Amino acid sequence: MELDFSPVIAYAPTLLSGVGVTSLIALVVALFSVLGGLLVAVISVYTNKVVSWPIRFLIWLFMTTPLLLQLYFLYFGLGEWILIPALMVGVLGLGFHYMAYNADIFIATIRSVSAGQYEASRSLGFGHLRTLFYIIVPQAFIRSVPQIGNNLILMVKDTSVLSAIGVAELVYASQYAISVSFRPFEFFIVIAIVYYLLNLIMEFGQARFERMTADRR
Amino acid sequence: MTIETKTDTPMVEIVNVHKKFGDLEVLKGINLTVPKGKIVSIIGSSGSGKSTLLRSVNHLEVIDDGVIRLDGVQVNRPDMKGLAFERHINHIRQNMGMVFQHFNLFPHLSTLDNVTLAPRKLKGMARKEAEELGREYLNRVGLADKADVYPSRLSGGQKQRVAIARALAMQPKVMLFDEATSALDPELVEEVNLVMRDLAKEHMTMLIVTHEMAFARDVSDWAMFMEGGVVVEEGTPDKFFSNPDHERTRNFLRKHLSSQH
Amino acid sequence: MDVNLMVEVTPLLIKAAWITIDISIRAIILGFGVACVLVFLRSLQIKPLQWFSRGYVSVIRGTPYFVQLLLVFYGGPTIGLTMDPFTCGVMVGAFNIGAYMSEAIRGALESVESGQNEASRSLGFGRLQTLTYVVLPQAAGLMIRSVGVLAIVLVKNSSLVSIISVVELTYQAQRLIGSTYKPFEIFTLTAVMYICIVYAVMGIVELAYRRATRYTTLVKRVQ
Repeated sequence: MELDFSPVIAYAPTLLSGVGVTSLIALVVALFSVLGGLLVAVISVYTNKVVSWPIRFLIWLFMTTPLLLQLYFLYFGLGEWILIPALMVGVLGLGFHYMAYNADIFIATIRSVSAGQYEASRSLGFGHLRTLFYIIVPQAFIRSVPQIGNNLILMVKDTSVLSAIGVAELVYASQYAISVSFRPFEFFIVIAIVYYLLNLIMEFGQARFERMTADRR
Repeated sequence: MTIETKTDTPMVEIVNVHKKFGDLEVLKGINLTVPKGKIVSIIGSSGSGKSTLLRSVNHLEVIDDGVIRLDGVQVNRPDMKGLAFERHINHIRQNMGMVFQHFNLFPHLSTLDNVTLAPRKLKGMARKEAEELGREYLNRVGLADKADVYPSRLSGGQKQRVAIARALAMQPKVMLFDEATSALDPELVEEVNLVMRDLAKEHMTMLIVTHEMAFARDVSDWAMFMEGGVVVEEGTPDKFFSNPDHERTRNFLRKHLSSQH
Repeated sequence: MDVNLMVEVTPLLIKAAWITIDISIRAIILGFGVACVLVFLRSLQIKPLQWFSRGYVSVIRGTPYFVQLLLVFYGGPTIGLTMDPFTCGVMVGAFNIGAYMSEAIRGALESVESGQNEASRSLGFGRLQTLTYVVLPQAAGLMIRSVGVLAIVLVKNSSLVSIISVVELTYQAQRLIGSTYKPFEIFTLTAVMYICIVYAVMGIVELAYRRATRYTTLVKRVQ
């Protein structure tokens, strides 16, 4: 057993661009899945069954089937109708997947805000929508911070799955280098370390954000 | 039903109000007039309908029959529907301050923001002006130094004082207190009572649902005893608390006065 | 919707579903063993072993399962670790989920209040006896529930072994979508199968939970 990390160093720029793409995807998906999840949750809690039932069904479907299967479905399913780049499919697929998980949490926290909060806001003269916007949703959001943080940490790791449909993130970007250098072990070790560091940053951010919002619960 | 100072303009009028929860009739034709600047206390055991009555004034409970007016304007409007009624009731509520048993401060907002949110968003007040006003009201309830603190850091008594400041900041025509001190530890009751006494001195119109007999006797212009959804007895506090006409009132008062120190 | 096609491919998908179930069961059982070892090492008063246990959990949880799978399958031979795809899927799945399960088990054990431990020790029970007679019966309910959640995660994660050509559900689905150009039909069938597996796991977990908590639940179930 002899390890040789020199090919990894030689392909450092490729890996770095892969890290860039991974980070960018993670950022876009984070925004998309959190804001989308919040919107979906509000709609599903405050509308009648005709609207909320299909939403609940989709959330459930996204949560009980594997991400990779969903990605394949989107990739080949959408590919039948329109030509869209893998990157777009990846962002949408990962985005919808985590939007469902986030919406599931937001639905629970919106419901956990006490009726007294709604009444207090209404008694000041705020209407229904303003009460949701100023009082209920912000409180639900703050209460969701720990669990949403967990979801985002899982999501960053799941960006690696996008390589299966050819999105040029970190894992995919290294594949050419691996195939010409025959050094899969070294490359994957370095890739794992990169994810570990990303994960550390995420956990640090989550802890900080949780501390920041602790008083407001 | 009518208070001695008959000539005063009525601020709150409650006329023949009925309310049912399912089959249970909780308000069976209540009448009450609160003149401007007067303080009315409503007492009674839990389930007597007193809280429901107070909440009906704020339209947090929708009454089935009767009329409630605030400063001559009808609060409940069975003839109005949808958005038109929303606009109407939101406008009415801006003129009423409501204080809840469990405070219901907004935990995600600082103390100052709790007080300034409604003036800013509903009256379109500029942030700077609203904050000046907010600090003034916090000062009035003795919590000027807590402006930037979040509610989770406050004691129950402090929370309730902020809740009062929040309601006052809308400069309401009447304040409604729904058992404002019932959820407080005994040693914290007095600080809230003090704030309410100050308001009384300034001739704020108040409708108070309370368990504090001594406080009600001191502060009110009129006292009312409810049981089973009807008004059993009402009168001036002097007469009401020392020499009530009804046996049921006497029983209730005996129980509650003796349990207080 | 092309019903004929769906009928035609169902046997293929059912066959693949068995592989998914097979791989999942093996990985869950092995993973539970890994988790118990990790918890045991962590509980010993030997610092290096505690560090190992904590470090292992941190590294596994801090890196993607997918990358772990690729590392072991493609990189393994470099360090003399050669496995067929199926074995690799089971092993990586087990060693991955084991890290998560160890945290779940530890959380369940710690959820039993310390007074219980003290009371048992004060009666003269040893550490192991305290664990088996006092702590475990009380922690079992929570432990089964949280391990059950992870078992479901593992079932869904098992779809990733399709990347190393294990012919399980997702692999078969992808191949069928590619050859039939009927993504909706194939997706529907495959999704139904995953949902059945997931609900079967949930059912088993619920049964185990009831059995484990039959003496400790406060509310008596009538019938």
